[in-house]
Amino acid sequence: MMQSFRQAMAWLHTWFGLVLGFVLMAAFFFGALSVFDREIDRWAIPSTRFDPQPMPSYEKILRPAFERMQPLPATVDAMRPRVNGPMPERFDTVVSWSAYTTHRDPVLQLFAGYEVPNAKDPEEAIWAEATIDPRDGTPLPNDRLKVGSGFFYPMHYGLTLDWKNLGIWIVGFSALMMLVALVTGVVMHRRIFREFFTFRPGKGGLRSVLDLHNLTGVVALPFHFFFAFTGLLIFAATYYFPLGHTQLHDLHDLHAEVEARQTGLPHQRAGIPAGLANVDAMVAEAQRRWRANDKAGDVGFLVLQHVGDANGYVSVYRAGTDRIALVGDGIHFKASTGRLIREDPAPTATGRVAEFLTGLHLQHFRHWLLRGMYVLGGLLGAACIATGFLFFVEKRKRQHARQGQQGARVVDALAVTTVTGMVLAALGILVANRLLPEDLPARGDWERYAFWGTWLLALLHAAWRSAPVARGLANPAWREQCVAIAVLAPLAAVLNWITTGDHLLRTFGQGYWPVAGVDLALLVSGAVAALSARALKRRALAGPVASIAGAETGHA
Amino acid sequence: MSRTIPDFPAPRLHLAARIAAAVFGGYVFAWGVIAAGASLMFAAGMGFHDAEFLASLLGVLVFVAVFLWAFAARRLWVVWTVLAGGGALLAALGSFVQSLLV
Repeated sequence: MMQSFRQAMAWLHTWFGLVLGFVLMAAFFFGALSVFDREIDRWAIPSTRFDPQPMPSYEKILRPAFERMQPLPATVDAMRPRVNGPMPERFDTVVSWSAYTTHRDPVLQLFAGYEVPNAKDPEEAIWAEATIDPRDGTPLPNDRLKVGSGFFYPMHYGLTLDWKNLGIWIVGFSALMMLVALVTGVVMHRRIFREFFTFRPGKGGLRSVLDLHNLTGVVALPFHFFFAFTGLLIFAATYYFPLGHTQLHDLHDLHAEVEARQTGLPHQRAGIPAGLANVDAMVAEAQRRWRANDKAGDVGFLVLQHVGDANGYVSVYRAGTDRIALVGDGIHFKASTGRLIREDPAPTATGRVAEFLTGLHLQHFRHWLLRGMYVLGGLLGAACIATGFLFFVEKRKRQHARQGQQGARVVDALAVTTVTGMVLAALGILVANRLLPEDLPARGDWERYAFWGTWLLALLHAAWRSAPVARGLANPAWREQCVAIAVLAPLAAVLNWITTGDHLLRTFGQGYWPVAGVDLALLVSGAVAALSARALKRRALAGPVASIAGAETGHA
Repeated sequence: MSRTIPDFPAPRLHLAARIAAAVFGGYVFAWGVIAAGASLMFAAGMGFHDAEFLASLLGVLVFVAVFLWAFAARRLWVVWTVLAGGGALLAALGSFVQSLLV
């Protein structure tokens, strides 16, 4: 087919990298933002700007909150086609009530699953979610968009395209192509060790773009590989290769039965009503047992299974603050009596590998330096892909200009949209978040519209200004969108000050890092964009001569 | 290194067939690896979720490898035969092992 193995790999790297690079940019950029998703939530929802709280008392806070919960009408409507007959008014048979928190959460997320009478798949539950203030149990309005954990994070793994999980599949395929691009990239570069130390910023456009592409790719190669790979693994069994629900369903059920027998944790309800003993006492007992084993004792995950049934049990899991696993060391109690059923044994070797791989990706543990490095790694990945686009364009644009082709122009406009345009879209949602009236109905939807609207404007602007690329010149949209970032980013920080009074001096002074950090990141982004705009302007004035010098350099 | 990125010399249909082999053939093959791997590891006494995770880990790496091979291999019919045929056989093996256990 190809003349050589290396050429085939180069073809793969170029074309799959180009087409899916646009998706990967979003995955890397919003992944980098998701590292601080909870901090962005605090910035976006000022009423939640207080310190992280431990898991509150079940009897005082959680029980009333759980009892108030019901699935949203939209969720009920979505479930309707999967049910024979009408939907009930209320859902009363609780499959599970649970609460999850980490060392960074001031507010508490609650989940409730209910049995659905006459569901076509009797195993399928209907779910409700709620957010409360764990200090007093006050419900927080659930329609306030958590911009970090509720928007940037789903963008990271699914582009918020929920229809048939399409976004999750697109991002998953792109992650696979990231792995392919890393392998093919290494194959293309025989002298990879030397290129690691090569950066020639003065050598003209093409050469330094390629150097930067290699540098950002190689310097963080283990990071890129690890995150693309573990990202795939996190979703593999649920979405990409759901064998347990399909081909190996019987094996999965067999396992569930055996496990229920061995652990004494019933898989099904008994159908006999039963009361609930004091859950706080069970939590205290779990903490006592952890302490006895020299383990710190914050509760990360509390689950009540089969609520109100004789088979009901309560599971208490230790938060993963001090280690890579999300939660663990589960201790289970019989709900009706509070009697200890079981203490989870240490995980198996495979279980530890799974905890390590997924936990290191999702990082709910406490390690602020590593957290910062994750952002850096994510941005390096984005820079690697962006320089890949630039190299593609720089290499072809003069040839395309001679031949009257539009390919380089289109790719360049899309590159503007995914690099500066994506930053602008993220700023658009933050600015809208501070400008929209507090009590606007469906406020979260308007914030999303601001995000997509800004991105669409960036695309139109990049396309409108792209004509010079067809003549072998640079697209002025790069510079203009940098200027827009330099204006919008500090504006978002100033709007935060005006609308909440939390300016940088105050948040710094109080050591309130979630908001101080977001504001600081905004100011730094603005400054970087301003410097880039200035450099681009200088280059535009100097003319295209400098970049032509590099055009002779070849690259497979 | 050559001076330009090589344009794909093959006709478009051949290219489309090769991409399809890599994407869909690769998926079928990875599915087969996971089905056979998970069921065999379960049969060997591993917990279902451990077996499923380990097999998925293997399956994803295999997917990357066969994806590259689909473009590097000389004869496309070999690629299709191995990926689709091999994937189906492996998946059948998974179901067979399951039928012995359940």
